[in-house]
Amino acid sequence: MKLNVRRRLEERFFLGLMRVFVATAAILLGLILLVIVWRGIGALSWEMVSQAPQGGFYLGKGGGILNAIAGSLLLATGATALAALIAVPVVLYIHVYAGQGRLTNLLRLALDVMWGIPSIVYGAFGFALMILLGLRASLLAGIITLALVVLPILARTFDEIVSMAPGQLREATLSLGTTRFEFLGVLLRQTVPGLLTALLLAFGRGIGDAASVLFTAGYTDSMPTSLLRPVASLPLAVFFQLSTPFPEVQARAYASALVLTAMILVISLLAHLSISRLGRHVIR
Amino acid sequence: MQSLAIRKLNVWYGRKQVLRDITVDIPLRQLTVIIGPSGCGKSTLLKSLNRLLELNEQVRVTGRVQLDGQDIYAPGVDATEVRTHIGLLAQKPFPLPMSIFDNVAYGPRIHGRTNGNLEEIVRSRLEAVGLWDEVADRLQAPATGLSVGQQQRLCLARTLAVEPEILLCDESTASLDPISARGIETLLCELKGRYTLVVVTHDIDQARRLADYVLFLWLGELVEHGPAGSFFGAPQHELTEAYLAREIG
Repeated sequence: MKLNVRRRLEERFFLGLMRVFVATAAILLGLILLVIVWRGIGALSWEMVSQAPQGGFYLGKGGGILNAIAGSLLLATGATALAALIAVPVVLYIHVYAGQGRLTNLLRLALDVMWGIPSIVYGAFGFALMILLGLRASLLAGIITLALVVLPILARTFDEIVSMAPGQLREATLSLGTTRFEFLGVLLRQTVPGLLTALLLAFGRGIGDAASVLFTAGYTDSMPTSLLRPVASLPLAVFFQLSTPFPEVQARAYASALVLTAMILVISLLAHLSISRLGRHVIR
Repeated sequence: MQSLAIRKLNVWYGRKQVLRDITVDIPLRQLTVIIGPSGCGKSTLLKSLNRLLELNEQVRVTGRVQLDGQDIYAPGVDATEVRTHIGLLAQKPFPLPMSIFDNVAYGPRIHGRTNGNLEEIVRSRLEAVGLWDEVADRLQAPATGLSVGQQQRLCLARTLAVEPEILLCDESTASLDPISARGIETLLCELKGRYTLVVVTHDIDQARRLADYVLFLWLGELVEHGPAGSFFGAPQHELTEAYLAREIG
């Protein structure tokens, strides 16, 4: 009887504790959104998202952040595509050909280490690489550096998703006399919704990263026109505007952060919609 | 196809030997049933016949499995080619992640056997397993939307569409409801005569209903084998007798 009381108290105490933590997490997210919206909504205007900066923009004069919106979209899309080009074959190779061996463990370890490296380190590496190749700060250099940042995220997420594919899928497919390469196609069909999730995660991380593009992509007030010219990006737009002493420019920084958050939200929703469509045939 | 012969087959999982010196001829265009208690190596023997065992990295195989006199484990023999001749119907139905139509069309497509008439092939295979009338109006729907029994018949149609000569069934009715299980049994009976079937089961009654020929495995060894009539009527080995009387197993 005594034991029962103790166990019930224990249950209630830890349940309560967990609820407090869940509430804390929810409140924190809410606070972040609240602050960005509250500080930024006033400065948000059609001009803000439809124009590049004009002269004196950072002193509070006209223009907007379309250059940074476009630059960020290009950087994140390019980097995600480039990373996927490497990550998808690597992951499929691990699962279809390499099996559970030393090479596989080594690859996973390498990707995990890469995941942990701070993005400023990639920025420095990209910068060194640029100098070596005689490349200037440009969209291309930014894409390459950012691809390194998102590669481990994309690869390890996709890796986990392929690991969750049912084991019988391999047996069922190969017993039809398929080659391993043909099985790879079936495996891809099964994991396409998960791949999209991985791409989205990588994109979300890429579009928000400031440190890796600081030196490699540079910054410019004009719209992106060429792979070999510098581009603006939203995180840096937030940074530059927030570091001015003018309240109206600082307000625009929050508006820019709001735009960045909204973009990630829209992409998440789009991906969610397409996942349920693509997942029609997936075996659960 | 002329013959399927197993000669001195040994299989190890890591250090554990699961099959010992199996030597037997599988009769052609008949239904051979492999029986024995759980863990006796029934499924291992079955999957050694189309080299699916290799998917497990710990497995080591010695001995020969001869298809038309050609050892399928000989160097230079392509497992993909072997599996084209020897199909498998698994224990649990497992549709491929695609539509009902594409599941059946998958084999003919990859093997280039469509002859421009894929619809006809798919239809005839679905008719052969009695599924056509149930799915004719939703061929493009996901295969996962079918009931478990329908899925198993779809898997059978998918396997038959590859045009194998030998069909392996690994407890293929074990995860089905009794009515669907009967349906699959009936189909298997219809298929013998045209195909060589090898069926694993732990259900002695099912073995009696289906078998033309029986292999009895015990702890990785082939204890007894023979035509169903004499095997069930007058078993030679006391282990067999005890197993059939359900005293062991």
